[in-house]
Amino acid sequence: MNFAWRIYQRLAQAFPHEFKMAFGDEMLQAGEEAMRQIAKRHGVMGLVRLLLDMAMRLPIEYANEIRQDLRYGARALAKSPGFALVGIVSMGLGIGLTTNVYSAGWSMLTRPLPSAAHASRLVTAENPVSYPYLEQYREEKGLFSGVAAVENGVAFNVTLQGALGAKPERVFGQIVSPDYFAVLGIPAERGRVLSAQLEKPGDVPVVVVSDRFWRSRLNADPDVIGHTIRINGQNATIVGITPRKFDGALSPTPVEMFVPTTVPAALAPELGDNVLRDRNAKEFQTLMYLAPGVTIDEAEAALDGITRRMEKEDGLALQQADTSKRVVLFAAGTRVPIPRKVKPAIIGFYAVLMGIVMGIACLNLATMLLARGAGRRKELAIRLGVGASRFRLIRQMVTEGILLSLLGGVAGFAMAYGLSNLNMHLQQPAGAPLLPDLAVDWHAALFALMLAVVCGIAFSVAPALQATKTDVAPALKQGSALQLSGHRLFGLRNLAMGAQVAGSLLLLLTTGFLVLGLLRGSSVPAQFNQKAMVLVSIDPVRDGYSPEKAQALFEELPDRLRGSQQVRSFALAAQPPFFTDDEDGGFALTVDDAHAASAVQQSVAKETVGAGYFGALNETPLAGREFVDADDRGTPGVGGVAMPIVLNEKAAKGLFGSGPALGKRLRSDRQMYEVVGVVRALKDGSGIVQPIAYVPLTAHDFARPPAGGITILARSDSAADALSGVESVVGSIDPKLTLFNAQTLSEYLELTRSGMRSALRTYGGIGLFGLILSAVGLAGVTAYAVAQRRKEIGIRMALGARKAQVLQLVLREGMSLIAVGSVLGFLGAFALARALSAVTTAFADAFEVGTNAPLLLVGAPLLLAGLALLACYVPARRAVMIDPLKSLRAE
Amino acid sequence: MTEARVQGFLPLKTQWFHILLSLASGEQHGYGIMQDVLQRTVGKVRLWPATLYGSIKRLIEAELIEESDERPAPEEDDARRKYYRLTKLGLRVLDAECERLQELVSAIQDKRNQGTKLMVT
Repeated sequence: MNFAWRIYQRLAQAFPHEFKMAFGDEMLQAGEEAMRQIAKRHGVMGLVRLLLDMAMRLPIEYANEIRQDLRYGARALAKSPGFALVGIVSMGLGIGLTTNVYSAGWSMLTRPLPSAAHASRLVTAENPVSYPYLEQYREEKGLFSGVAAVENGVAFNVTLQGALGAKPERVFGQIVSPDYFAVLGIPAERGRVLSAQLEKPGDVPVVVVSDRFWRSRLNADPDVIGHTIRINGQNATIVGITPRKFDGALSPTPVEMFVPTTVPAALAPELGDNVLRDRNAKEFQTLMYLAPGVTIDEAEAALDGITRRMEKEDGLALQQADTSKRVVLFAAGTRVPIPRKVKPAIIGFYAVLMGIVMGIACLNLATMLLARGAGRRKELAIRLGVGASRFRLIRQMVTEGILLSLLGGVAGFAMAYGLSNLNMHLQQPAGAPLLPDLAVDWHAALFALMLAVVCGIAFSVAPALQATKTDVAPALKQGSALQLSGHRLFGLRNLAMGAQVAGSLLLLLTTGFLVLGLLRGSSVPAQFNQKAMVLVSIDPVRDGYSPEKAQALFEELPDRLRGSQQVRSFALAAQPPFFTDDEDGGFALTVDDAHAASAVQQSVAKETVGAGYFGALNETPLAGREFVDADDRGTPGVGGVAMPIVLNEKAAKGLFGSGPALGKRLRSDRQMYEVVGVVRALKDGSGIVQPIAYVPLTAHDFARPPAGGITILARSDSAADALSGVESVVGSIDPKLTLFNAQTLSEYLELTRSGMRSALRTYGGIGLFGLILSAVGLAGVTAYAVAQRRKEIGIRMALGARKAQVLQLVLREGMSLIAVGSVLGFLGAFALARALSAVTTAFADAFEVGTNAPLLLVGAPLLLAGLALLACYVPARRAVMIDPLKSLRAE
Repeated sequence: MTEARVQGFLPLKTQWFHILLSLASGEQHGYGIMQDVLQRTVGKVRLWPATLYGSIKRLIEAELIEESDERPAPEEDDARRKYYRLTKLGLRVLDAECERLQELVSAIQDKRNQGTKLMVT
């Protein structure tokens, strides 16, 4: 019974403070008296029942208190709608922006591939491999449960049957090994998926199309399975449709059709040249399903050894000497697989940026709560005086913070939803690749909610502690302006203001660097009217030509174009100008110099261009010559003959330093080159100057044009002239040939910039929101600081200080805080820029431009300082305007 | 004090009804209420301490009862004890509840008079 009494006392102690204040003593007394009686009448069970009653009542009382807190908080907020609105807007902007970025970027990187059962166990190798290597990997049953080959971004000219005489549409898809769907663990929505058992070379070609393709191009016809369509001039049977939302693995842009590697090369020219047997043709990406229990590191190490051994068998001495990893694996079960090396940098960048945005929003909340707490000193003191516990008051204030934050979260989620819809509509210029579905979903909602709760708690505790740290008596006597004891250098308010300035400046500068960098880079300095150059693509192989016939066509075409009256100058290329394909993971060139102690190697971007390319762009080589027709007729890899190569300045500098490059020899892993010319380093479409090596178009390229076809660049007085010139020439050779993607150079550049423009919108938006947030926050914190000093100002005025003197005093103090914050923000921005530049080159170039922009470096701090000073001045002025007697007597 | 407000409390929770009923005869402290209920119901209804004071708290918040400032004679008074009494609203609610129960009972009576056999004798 003594034991039971002790527990009873403990439980009674655990009740909420207010409850204890009202009923604690009585409950103890009643318990003591009742216990004897109960024990006598009901025995042990009665005592248990008594304690159970206490234990069950506890959570009810607490829940009741929280409900009261919420009701009280809501009423308090409703009473000061201005305060509530600013708080909600602050948190809403912060949470909305962060949620939007989270749902767009983050979920692209981490959301598993839709419908893929094996998503979490999928890996891919960073570099493409040849099919024989991949088959060897597939034999490693201990490592992988399955290995599929994927060739991404393959263009198909598709004619839907029934639309006779219709122009073929260009559709992007993947060539995949038949086990692709088995490796992914994806069933068919309709029909069947490709399978290693059913697909055999020599069978009637089959194709699986995506749900997107089925809906947009086949009108969601349910009877489409078994129908024939024409792909690159050949018949193929549609055997299945993939599940909704599945847009292909390893592809950032949606895949519309999946063509098996078993189809003949006539249907998919990518499969020509015996590419499935050629151990050197590194054309395929690997999609590997890890065997149970195997980690990605184990698989990587094992695969590295296997690859090394195979390369040794193939006699690849150069690669053998290279001690770096031959195989780097990373997870492939997400929409955009990202190498493990880069992932932390990207995630880190967004985390830091969003951390700053959220930090500023939360600081706003905190300073406002702080200011409000100071204004409520009297109220709090009264509640403390009549017996409320400090903990209770803190809980009350934190509840208000969470309430604000939650309302902000709701507003923020609405904003994120709106932004994402806006983005979907804005980001679709005509002709751009299809966008994957990036709608805000429940993940994002949960994220916003958690963010709101965590930030609400974290940033309202400090103000609550500060506000309740009050001696009851003076607070009751003096009201709100009790602290005349001089200002503390590291007081919460000074810290808040300094942090506010530093954080805002950091954000403004970082986004400013990026925006300026992107803007500055966006103008391609072409030496001619970009509107008078037309780009048009041709792809005879996908129009049904044999490789030999295609080759003959491209030998004939330059002569015919030269004879055209309308075309002033022209060139052929394997890609549009100012476009640098960095998907290949770089083109490694080594200086071929037997005397050098160590080999100089550099990874450059490769562009494949035809004779007269630089002439067509009005660029004169800085040294040497450009390609001529004879260069285009060569065949790579024959007899060790060196092929001509043209370097841009940046590549030449990287390989040969300041020494001459002309006549020097370079080798790649497959080919020897001789430098025949050096050209100016031009920016590419996204404004980055890369080291570029130009190699000539060869018979090989003509026989197997790249996914974008062979691009004809033609210039005349106007684009229309140039285009009709090309059309009439091509038409006179063969009227059945399709010309596609006709656009002027300026239109094309506009398109390539669309991605960048959306990045600009994002960064610009973040910067702008940051500025609004910090303006709100600064106004709040300084208004509070000055309001707190009203009494002091009153005393100064009463003692004869002039208005100007007092204003000066307030502003001087504000200024020093702003200065300290600015310096910190500046240093932070540069440190962040450095850190990010070290990790990714894309940021490095943008920052290089941005950090050299005086307008930004001077303008941003001045803008912020101006805002901050204004925020100091307005309330200070109001304070000195008041009659000193009044402000002294106030409250 | 509208009729609707009174009706809003009905039907009363059992504990509430018993507490109000105990206070109907005059002021009482918490332990007294507990004993009173126990006696009145011949030990069938026991208000356990936490439930009792939890209910008292709610009843005060609902303005059905209030703390009384009148204390009993000094020799009987225990300073730790608080006395409670019905408010006007509390009295009206109790009356309304009693009326409701009365109607229920007379409905049962009617049935029985018509010759229906009911378990209750």
